[in-house]
Amino acid sequence: MNDRIVLLPLARFEGRHLADLVDQFLALLTDTDIGPDADPGLRRLTPDAYPDDEEASAEFARATADDLLDRRAADARVVRAGLQRFVDGAGDDADPVDAVIADADLDAWLRTLTALRLVIASRLGIETDADHDRDDPRFGVYDWLGYRLEGLIEAAEARETPA
Amino acid sequence: MSAPMVLPESDEAIGAQRTPARPWQLVVWDDPVNLMSYVVRVFRTYFGYSQEVATRLMLSVHNEGHAVVATGPRETMEVHAQAMHDYGLWATVRQSDD
Repeated sequence: MNDRIVLLPLARFEGRHLADLVDQFLALLTDTDIGPDADPGLRRLTPDAYPDDEEASAEFARATADDLLDRRAADARVVRAGLQRFVDGAGDDADPVDAVIADADLDAWLRTLTALRLVIASRLGIETDADHDRDDPRFGVYDWLGYRLEGLIEAAEARETPA
Repeated sequence: MSAPMVLPESDEAIGAQRTPARPWQLVVWDDPVNLMSYVVRVFRTYFGYSQEVATRLMLSVHNEGHAVVATGPRETMEVHAQAMHDYGLWATVRQSDD
């Protein structure tokens, strides 16, 4: 049933690097000492739904923020499990290895790659389209994640579009 | 529909003069991080919009800075806002001006 999965082709070292990033992301999400108030990255993952209404804003955040971050962690664990084959496997760093993503896990992957980019963007201070310097090496991981996310979206859409 | 043949009580008459409830809106805002293809996919898969409608809404967000993506009761817009936040989109809820 090939139509029930999406393949994300990566080099082995890329899968390991991604697994490491997801581990760091999970540590950030599950550290009870760090919350959206203390971390701009977490704040970006829990946006203000009522920027013009302080009371409604606080109420919405109280009702949703913890669950929102719990769901990010659940998504991230799905992705991390899918990357274990890169961590376990022996072989050359440059070997191509497919991440095999079941249909049911696709949204978790898309949301997690997006969330990683949002957190990294907040660390890099990317707030407008102009805040992006392709010659600055710190943007390398950010751009790489964007490239792989775009590829995953294309693979998902190609599968959905009848040939 | 039939109308009751009784005069309204005075407090009901006051109620009838109130402006009807203004609908609530889900607004999605532009950000420099989310990919255009991703935003289109979220609008398409979550709201069930066609590729054309989803693309038009994404371009409105990108070019005008924001777009009203859904309209309805406040509770529904809040559910949508949470879903958009799940996807990493920057969404807010507001009452429409009219």
